[in-house]
Amino acid sequence: MSSVARIIWFDLKHELSPPVWIVMEWLSFGLQIAVYGALIARLVTGITNYLQFYAVGFVVMMTFEIGSHTGRHFVEHAHEGRLPYLLSLPIPRRTLFLAITLQGGVELALMLSIPLLVTLTLIGNLTIVSTIATVATLFWLGFGVAGLMLALSFIAFRSADLYSAITAAVSALIIRFSTVLYPLIFLPQQYASAALLSPLTYGADLVRLFLGFDPNMLLNPTIAAAVLTALAISTLGLGAFLLQRLVEGVKSG
Amino acid sequence: MLAVETKNLFKQYGKAQALKGLDFTVDEKEIMVLLGPNGSGKTTLLLILATVLKPTSGIARVMGLDVIGQPTKVRQILGISFQDARGFWRHKPAEILRFHATICGVPKIKREQLIDQILKDLELWDARNKLFMHLSGGQAKRLEVAKLLIQRPPFAIFDEPSSQVDLRGKRIIWEDIRKLRDEGTTVLVATNEVREAEYLADRVTVLDQGKNVVCDTVRSLKDKIAGGDIVELQIEDLDKAGLLEALSRLEGTVKITQTGENQCRAYVSMAESWVPKMTDLCYKKNVRVTSVRVTEPSLDDVFLHFTGRALEAAPSVE
Repeated sequence: MSSVARIIWFDLKHELSPPVWIVMEWLSFGLQIAVYGALIARLVTGITNYLQFYAVGFVVMMTFEIGSHTGRHFVEHAHEGRLPYLLSLPIPRRTLFLAITLQGGVELALMLSIPLLVTLTLIGNLTIVSTIATVATLFWLGFGVAGLMLALSFIAFRSADLYSAITAAVSALIIRFSTVLYPLIFLPQQYASAALLSPLTYGADLVRLFLGFDPNMLLNPTIAAAVLTALAISTLGLGAFLLQRLVEGVKSG
Repeated sequence: MLAVETKNLFKQYGKAQALKGLDFTVDEKEIMVLLGPNGSGKTTLLLILATVLKPTSGIARVMGLDVIGQPTKVRQILGISFQDARGFWRHKPAEILRFHATICGVPKIKREQLIDQILKDLELWDARNKLFMHLSGGQAKRLEVAKLLIQRPPFAIFDEPSSQVDLRGKRIIWEDIRKLRDEGTTVLVATNEVREAEYLADRVTVLDQGKNVVCDTVRSLKDKIAGGDIVELQIEDLDKAGLLEALSRLEGTVKITQTGENQCRAYVSMAESWVPKMTDLCYKKNVRVTSVRVTEPSLDDVFLHFTGRALEAAPSVE
């Protein structure tokens, strides 16, 4: 087993024995779709199959939350002193950061597996290509969000409380001002402008396009794909750069 | 080759300077003890050598490898036992050690046997399947030390290896550290415990406010304190003409005071050579020495002598 796999498995096995946290995420999704989603779908008349629209939006929200959790987790590790230990291990930094990133990816895959399966079943009539494109988009979005939280982590080295407050505020704004629960064309002008700043808008619209939703109420897919790619590359790159400078420049733990 | 060499090493955290142009060396296969109060820069130096922290400026080399230019290679030849046990809260001691041994390349064939042995040696066997968060402070600290004893790297760094550990545990840890040195490992120990330093050190570096104050063997450091050795004497007929005066003129005497009838206290340098001269003198003067008690200075006194402050009262710079 490689160093990357060992580091991932060392933590992951505790997430899985027993997988309480993961199952809770699944139950939360099930409850949200079965109760709130079903009720709200009866109220919304402007969008056909709103329950499916809502389910996709909820999966995108989960992706965002898991991605941001991964980023925050890293900062917590620095504060509780685990990171210095990992930094002292006889492996290259690149390997360590790759392991931490992939661990977030594996957690994302585990937590999203059942909700995504339920959503795809609910939508039905899918091709392998559209399913793969959906999964890829969600991962790309997850990495971008984790990178965003990592890029914000420089605040945590000054004040953990400030970091928590800022990331909570950013998260709330990014989710509310996005198209996860309502299409862009139905939003008032001011809200629509704000929603265009949220990465979730691009993630949600691209996923919906791959899953066969009406393209007329979605963003241009090329633009959405470009924005998500730019987000993932820039935030992960910036996050890795900042962390390498910060983690090795300040005393933590 | 020097095991560790730093030249003009600086480390700054915001406005606070933890290391102020530190020049420091460690010879191969010795136990070097860094002695200094909290905040003297010990941990910062250790973290820089372990490539966990980057220095602000200056040079630091481990076994000839530059910590900035070749960090991965440096990490491959060293291991560090941190000051605080690093929290894998939901993991168990045995699996933490297994993970560490595997990542550090301990051969599979002897890994399990070694882990079992170290767990027993450090009296962690009964706690091997407890969650880390349920370990006592002493157990967590011993686990931190156990990682290095399993890894057995060419260069081992221990940051306050026996803090929070009971007396019996301290002895075990100290013996294990000495064994490491005897097997050829270079050991660097940071501590503010005088007894730990005296027990372990081949040489001691006194660190204060981010600077290397003095470095030598424990014996030499103590000998450098003029009048550091205290000799308490009981002599029949101490009041005999000129005896006290003659003792005060003996080579090595810094000060001598009468403390009672036929009793005096002499502050001397190197008591081991002063006492024979004193007995010679008394013999010549036909005076009987009935009791001699020698107290040598502690490393606390050494710190006081070289820095002007007691080890425990020294201020922090971080």
